[in-house]
Amino acid sequence: MSTSKLNRRELIQRTLFGTTAISAWQANIIGQATTMQSNATSCILLWMGGAPSQLDTWDPKPGTVNAGAAQAIPTALTDVQISDRLPETAKAMKDVCLLRGMHGPEGSHPRASYWAQTGYLPSASIKHPTIGSHVSHHIGNPNADLPSFVRIGAGRNLTGAGLLGVDHDPFKIANPNQKPANTQIPTTKPRFTRRLSLLEQLEQDSSRTGADHWTKSNRKVYGKATRMITSPLMEAFDLEQENVASRESYGEGNFAAGCLMARRLIESGVTFVEVTSGNWDTHFDNYERTTDLCQQVDRPYARLLEDLKDRGMLDTTLVIWMGEFGRTPRINARGGRDHFPRAYSIALAGCGVRGGQVIGRTSDSGEEILEGKNSVPNLLTTIYDKLGIDAFHENMSSVGRPIRVVENGALIEGV
Amino acid sequence: MITRMLKLAVVSLLGLFAAINTSYSQSVLEVAAEVDRLLDQQTQPSSNNLCNDEIYLRRLFLDITGKTPSLDDILVFNLETHPEKRTKVAEILLQDPDYGANWGRFWRDVIYYRRSNDQILLGASVAENYFKDTLNTNTPWDQFATDLITALGDIREDGSTALIAAQQGRPEETVSEISRIFLGIQIQCAQCHDHPTDRWKQEQFHELAAFFPRVAVRPQMDPRTFLVYAVDRIRFQPRTNNNRFMGTLEHRMPNFEDPATPGPQVTPKFFLNDQQLPLGSTDMDRRNMLARWITSPDNPWFAKAAVNRMWSELVGEGFHEPVDDMGPDREAIAPAAFDYLAAKFTESGYDMKWLIATIVSTQHYQLESQDRRPYDQLPFQANTVQPLRSDQLMDAILNTLRFPELPERAELGIRRQFAETFGYDPNNIREEVAGTIPQALMLMNAEVIHRQITARSGTMLGNLLSEVSNDRQALQELYLKTLSRRPNRKELATNLQYIQQVDNRGEAFEDIFWALINTSEFKTRN
Repeated sequence: MSTSKLNRRELIQRTLFGTTAISAWQANIIGQATTMQSNATSCILLWMGGAPSQLDTWDPKPGTVNAGAAQAIPTALTDVQISDRLPETAKAMKDVCLLRGMHGPEGSHPRASYWAQTGYLPSASIKHPTIGSHVSHHIGNPNADLPSFVRIGAGRNLTGAGLLGVDHDPFKIANPNQKPANTQIPTTKPRFTRRLSLLEQLEQDSSRTGADHWTKSNRKVYGKATRMITSPLMEAFDLEQENVASRESYGEGNFAAGCLMARRLIESGVTFVEVTSGNWDTHFDNYERTTDLCQQVDRPYARLLEDLKDRGMLDTTLVIWMGEFGRTPRINARGGRDHFPRAYSIALAGCGVRGGQVIGRTSDSGEEILEGKNSVPNLLTTIYDKLGIDAFHENMSSVGRPIRVVENGALIEGV
Repeated sequence: MITRMLKLAVVSLLGLFAAINTSYSQSVLEVAAEVDRLLDQQTQPSSNNLCNDEIYLRRLFLDITGKTPSLDDILVFNLETHPEKRTKVAEILLQDPDYGANWGRFWRDVIYYRRSNDQILLGASVAENYFKDTLNTNTPWDQFATDLITALGDIREDGSTALIAAQQGRPEETVSEISRIFLGIQIQCAQCHDHPTDRWKQEQFHELAAFFPRVAVRPQMDPRTFLVYAVDRIRFQPRTNNNRFMGTLEHRMPNFEDPATPGPQVTPKFFLNDQQLPLGSTDMDRRNMLARWITSPDNPWFAKAAVNRMWSELVGEGFHEPVDDMGPDREAIAPAAFDYLAAKFTESGYDMKWLIATIVSTQHYQLESQDRRPYDQLPFQANTVQPLRSDQLMDAILNTLRFPELPERAELGIRRQFAETFGYDPNNIREEVAGTIPQALMLMNAEVIHRQITARSGTMLGNLLSEVSNDRQALQELYLKTLSRRPNRKELATNLQYIQQVDNRGEAFEDIFWALINTSEFKTRN
């Protein structure tokens, strides 16, 4: 990020805080601020928990036995078809780089989710950081009003900061249609301020021995928490602030609301936002259920890309669409698809990713990867490269073992 | 105020010291004195004072029962003149069911924070209850370890399955946890390569894993649960280790050249005594033998791992740190005291309550507290300030705010919120446990707390203010109830001045109460 931008933003916050009169030149800067991004790069992860069926989303096999009832439609790209239940996404494909040759080592949800988010298999001794925590650690702004890593939605099998420490854990929003938990001051503002100074004074008056460390850290955390909840940027969490047309353009449902909030948060200086969609574990009635799930995801995803682009933010914001693995091309006796880590798809867009292309190809049955085979470490290496993060950086585990951001990964060419 | 409290106190005073069972006191005091002597010899006598009775009592209550002392408890203790009253109260508290509840949650966290699968949380409350009962009946520590190592059964019925289930019975992860928790050795670092700093070899790690190949953890529906079970016959022998629903008859070395093909079979062999079992041994033979070798009095690591962890929890600094990484070739801080206490713990028959009573009877436990020492300063010169675990904080708040009778489910709900917000992995060094924004937000703003700190009638504060009209006395009682101590002169002055400025007694006291709950002192144990 350029220093001039950073300084300007700090200036804006300082002048906004606690003042009511805004001069003409201040208003001018504020006007710029609403479209100004504070971070050089940012990232939005759309997490498809439960493992989405690639045959019903990104890699349809129309006309084959394995397709079942699933159809395909043309997209903005010649010769590339995706599921007919993703019509809005199909129009946005010029911005999307589709990876159809993903494969992984694990077919259980918890282990594969950990793998997909960290690039490591779970172990008792080392808790590896999830993508958002690495991003927060490397490129988050520790002095921002809002947390650098926000997770929206109550997903399962999601990991945290692990060895990077709680500063890089996600700030969680269970429901994007409600205010974040405990951010409403329970008294009037003057009384709240009065209480805070009393707290500060009583901490100083205490005669207990040798607890400087905890007193200082308490003061620091209360300072940050107070700054956050009294910041004008908190409006980013309030979707009521968005005009009706804009809200409607994202579609309905919690995932749509999450995508809209993600855009608002990135605009307000948050570096990493995770939005979760669940229930992709379609062991039975796969067609009906993926139809419903596609409908929840299709429009918000396409609109998010478009909205970021319209605001000039897509060039610096990486949008990742992925789950923990794929689903069996063959349909089981209950009309469902089971776990299939051997070949699945994910999608990247923005932040320098070359959109409008497909990397990787599966066989007509969908069971084999014919070209462009990639695994999670390659994907993560590529993601970190786009975000300007050193994938070889080593962090120390609690038993003094160096742990790389990504182990055994290589850049995926062409992305 | 004093008269009001005295009435309550006299009732409990009559029962308190009369009921003491002094079975431990003699050996506890002797061993504690010897530990102090050895520590002073190896480090240097501390220049800090012993903490006063108020601090000691809060520290002891939190450490043993996980709760803060009541007003009565503080008063009774202050009035008691018995010279060994500190040790005696410890022994009384160790008989309180809250002891097991507190440490049961601790061991639940020790195991569950390292789980490799969230679904296994289904068994967490069963495990917690099992640990609670085991600790309250004071099951010897070797029996506890044996039960965990040899467990079989449904995770929602049998809590001893917790350690195995938390790693889904995967041999490599399970034995890593057994080694870490019961031996204080991080042998899993040798999993993929020979250990870079320790002398254990990759082969020895896999020989340890070879005690567990036949264990499997199988998911069940209706009701949803997991079964820890073992197979000694398999129709189709899987060729790789990674088949956790079925188990395998023998563990195999991984083939790093070609991970898809199986490596050679590994014989179960225990790296600390080089004893082994033949291939083909039954699952129960393997695990019983491993448990026996681990808990044998000939194996000093077993007692040391327990002593190091308990000492570290109570005094705030371990002989080795992190608590579960002791060896093999590392020097303990003050090895003579450490070896002596471990030997005495073995002699006691691995008696956990004896160990705790002994540690809290040392002068070193009773020193005034300090922040964690910088590494260039002498060890064990003070007790170290510790952040409360989420359950301790929750109970401190429940005690202080005197919630109306909470239905069990509501309490569980709040406890879960606290765990989510304030929980931390107790295996880590406490200094690395940092405060977070959601923690501050919860204590500052959470409605469930805020409702209870008001001065309306029926709340703790409401009752206090209507019964005690003198502000100074009300402040004293409020401090005792929140911080388990009286306010000092400065604190009194600040608060009295505040009350005057606000000019609304109820509001002012609400603010003071709010501030006290948000102090770092309330959230730590001194």
